[in-house]
Parts: sequence; C-alpha cells; structure tokens
Amino acid sequence: MSEPPAVSPRPPATYSEPAAPHIGSVNWRGLWTLYLKEVQRFLKVFSQTVAGPVVSTLLFYAIFSLALGGAVRTVGDVPFVQFLAPGLIMMAMVQNAFANTSSSLMIAKIQGNIVDVLMPPLTAGELAVGFAAGGVTRGVVVGLVTAIVMLLFVPIGLANPALIVFHAVAASLMLSLLGIVAGIWAQKFDQMAAITNFIIMPLSFLSGTFYSIERLPAAWQVVSRVNPFFYMIDGFRAGFIGRADADPLLGVIVMLVIDLVLFFVAYRLFATGYRLKA
Amino acid sequence: MPPQPREFRYVNFRGVWTLYYRELKRALKIWVITLASPAISAILFAAIFSLALGRFGETMGGMAFATFLIPGLIAAAVLQRAFEATAFSLVFDKMEGTIDDTVRAPLAPAELVLGYTLASATGALLVGIIVGLALVPFGTPLPSGPWVTVFFAFAGSVMISLFAQISGLWARKWDHISAVQTFAFIPFVFLAGVFFPLDRLPPVGQLIVRFNPMFYVVDGVRFGMTGHTETAPVWAAGIVIAVTAALAVICLHLFATGYRLKD
Repeated sequence: MSEPPAVSPRPPATYSEPAAPHIGSVNWRGLWTLYLKEVQRFLKVFSQTVAGPVVSTLLFYAIFSLALGGAVRTVGDVPFVQFLAPGLIMMAMVQNAFANTSSSLMIAKIQGNIVDVLMPPLTAGELAVGFAAGGVTRGVVVGLVTAIVMLLFVPIGLANPALIVFHAVAASLMLSLLGIVAGIWAQKFDQMAAITNFIIMPLSFLSGTFYSIERLPAAWQVVSRVNPFFYMIDGFRAGFIGRADADPLLGVIVMLVIDLVLFFVAYRLFATGYRLKA
Repeated sequence: MPPQPREFRYVNFRGVWTLYYRELKRALKIWVITLASPAISAILFAAIFSLALGRFGETMGGMAFATFLIPGLIAAAVLQRAFEATAFSLVFDKMEGTIDDTVRAPLAPAELVLGYTLASATGALLVGIIVGLALVPFGTPLPSGPWVTVFFAFAGSVMISLFAQISGLWARKWDHISAVQTFAFIPFVFLAGVFFPLDRLPPVGQLIVRFNPMFYVVDGVRFGMTGHTETAPVWAAGIVIAVTAALAVICLHLFATGYRLKD
C-alpha cells in the first residue's frame, strides 16, 4: 500500500481588505448607469417607443390637413400646416417623455424590480435626475425623428433656434417629472390610464396645437392661459414661425418655475420613499 | 355512483357562455381604459373641430360638419374597441401562460371564435353607445335608420374582432401586436373616411381607401345615422359580410390547427 502522493501545501493567500467604495458628492457612475438603463429600456422596443409615436403624429397631421382643406387655410398669416406641425411635434415629445418615466416606475413597482433602483447608493436627487434625463432623451429623440420626417411634407421655417431648444428640453423635462410623480403615486395600471386620459390628453389636445387661442371665446382664452401646455407649444412654435400668442419671455419663466417646482416634488417623493419603500 | 362523462351535444353552450362572460368581464373591469377613454378622446376631437376651428358652421359632404364627423367618431371608437378587446386579451393570456385555461377547456374551434367575437362585439357596441351619448352636446344625430346603424356597427366589430384574433394568434410578443395596431390598424381606421369625405383625397388615396373594408363600416354607420353615404349601402354591407366570412374561415383554421397556440 503506497502512500498517496504528497500534495504541496498551497501558500497562504494574501488578500487586502476590500476598500470601501469611494463616492464623491455625486455618484456619477451610478447616475450614468441609471440613465443608460432608462435609455436602453425604451430603445430596446423602439418600434413602440419611437417609430410608433412618429407614425401616429404623421397620421394626425394627415387627418387635420385633409379635413381642414390643406394649404388654403391660414392662422394669422401662417399657412395652417406650418402652424400645425410644430404643435404636433411638441405633443409627441411631451406624451413620450411622460410615458417613459411613468411606465418605467410603474412597471418596476408592479414587477418588484424597483429594489434594483432603490438599493444602490443613489440619493433622491440622483434618482430624480436619472429618471428625468431618460424621459427627456426619449422626448427629444421622438421630436427629432418626427421633425425630420415632417420636413418631407411641410416646409418648416426657423425663426429662433434657441427658443426651440429651450422649450423642447423644458417641456420634456416637465412631463418627465410629472411622469415620475404619477408613476410613484399610481398603484395600478388603471390609475395610470386615468391620469393619461383625464389629465395629460385633454391638457395637450386643448393647448393650442390645432388652433390659435385668439379664435376662442374670451372665457376659454383665460382657461387656455392657465394651461402650462399652452406655453410650451406656443413658445416652441414661435421658434419656428416667429409668431406667438403669448409673450415668449413669460413662456420661458412659466416653464422654468414649473420645472423647478416639479423637480422638488419628485425629489421629495424619492427622499421620503412614498409608495416606494412602504 | 361514479362521475359520468359530461355530454355536450352539438354545442357546448355553457362553455361558450363562460368564455363570453369572462371576456366581457375582463373588458369592463378596466372601464377607465375601455369605456371612459374612448369617450374622452371622441369629446376632444369634437371639441377641437367645433370650438376651436369653428368648423361646425361649415358643411362637409353636404351636411353640417358635426353631423358628418360624429358618426365617424362613433364608428372609429367601435372598431378600435373591437380590435383591442380581442387582441390584448389573447396576447395577455399567451404571455402569462393562462391561455391554457382556454385551450384546455372542452371548446371546439368554432366555439372559441364565437365566444371571443361576441364578447368583443358586445363591448364595442357598448362603447359606440357611450361615445354617441358623450357627443350629444356637440349634436349627435338621432339615427334615422337605427337598425342599419346597429347592423354596420355589429358587423364591423365582428370583422375586426376576427382580424384581431388572427393578429393575436400570430403575435409572440407585445411588440408584435402593438406594431399591428400602430402601423396597420389605426392608420386604416383614421383614414377610412372618419374625418373627411373621400373626395378630399387624391385619386390614388381614394382607390386605397376603397380597398379598406373599414371604410364601408364607417360609411354604413354614417348612412344609418344621417342617410348620407358615399357608396351604395347594399354594396357596403356585401363587402363587410364577405370580408367577415373570409376572416372567419382563416380564424377557424388557425384555432383548429392550434397555430402559435399549442406549440
């Protein structure tokens, strides 16, 4: 009986203690990861999230230009189709910005994978910024693609590019933040559908996309001027056609104030863990 | 006494009724999405065209614009609901695996098709009535031929429900069904003469619309409500019935072979 071959003893391993990850005042890596997750989430189903909205917007354009008699009609001295196009682009942007953040949070909550977002070392502010930036990206991407396709049908002018960029970003941000609030509040898909159908759709349809509010009776003009959607569409359109119903500066201020307030609300919701950590 | 094997005779009426009842209940449980939302969008369309564009003073197709538009909006809501009711239900069950409950039940292919189709048509007609009532402030015309209206709304929902069953069986993912809806179905509904008469389109567009069976549904509903038509109503009814029959044959075949259902 032979001895088993001797096994040379393994030298003792020397591991250094794992160092505590160092995160500065902002967790840039975490923020970027969250942003990337939000963007890849919608790009993976781009036929639903980008191509679909573009087709629907073009459909609206076709319906309204055909039903209203095409180029014959004017709003002020602008041909109707040129008046209509920027409003439709803006509607597509804001609806998709809202859909992105609200559906992301909603689905994560229902499927339970919201913990993947809540557990990492991300502060409330970083969560709000990451989600909102994802929504803004979707809004702007949809807006850009829609605008490029529409250029084939409508000669869209360019009066004030700065105004266009500001309102595109500010409006997408506003609806992204609103989507965060709605996504955190809603506990069922019905509730989300109710917000979309009873609040977002009416506000965006009755915002002056399809008409100049000058045509409305005085009482309805007042109502329109209280609707924040009116300012984003009016300002965005002014960037293209150089004609606005409201003072452009007022529009910029309104959008900035609303964005700030909504950001604070979204921040508080993440910070308190309302319906997220309960 | 040991349990006896159940006998169904020629038709499993209890089974068809159960499928019908489940489908209808499924749709009505989320009434905010299925009933309220179509009414809201119809009101928004009517509001934009009336208040803002001042179109209601004008005429279209030889009648007041509201009278022309409202039957179109009702028909569009009916067709959309008929599609969604069936397609989403089927795809949901397929994705969740609960389709087994339906496939394993002692229901023949024709009974499955009947249950899905009738439930979808019931919900669609309900939506039509609700949209019609919601648009009363804008001047919903009282149907001059109520039975013609009901016939076209019912036949249209049956046709679209069959189409939705085929699409739902074909779809393997939510992406697929939503692509059918966004890129094929909705454009064909909205460009089927809902918002404007045929002569607004260039000749090529008119020809395409005439090949769209939903155009005949919209036109038939409008004929029933206002007496205005752009085709011969008998011709329209014939086309809708023929397309429905063809879709029914395809649908029966797919359920009978278990296409993408039992694999």
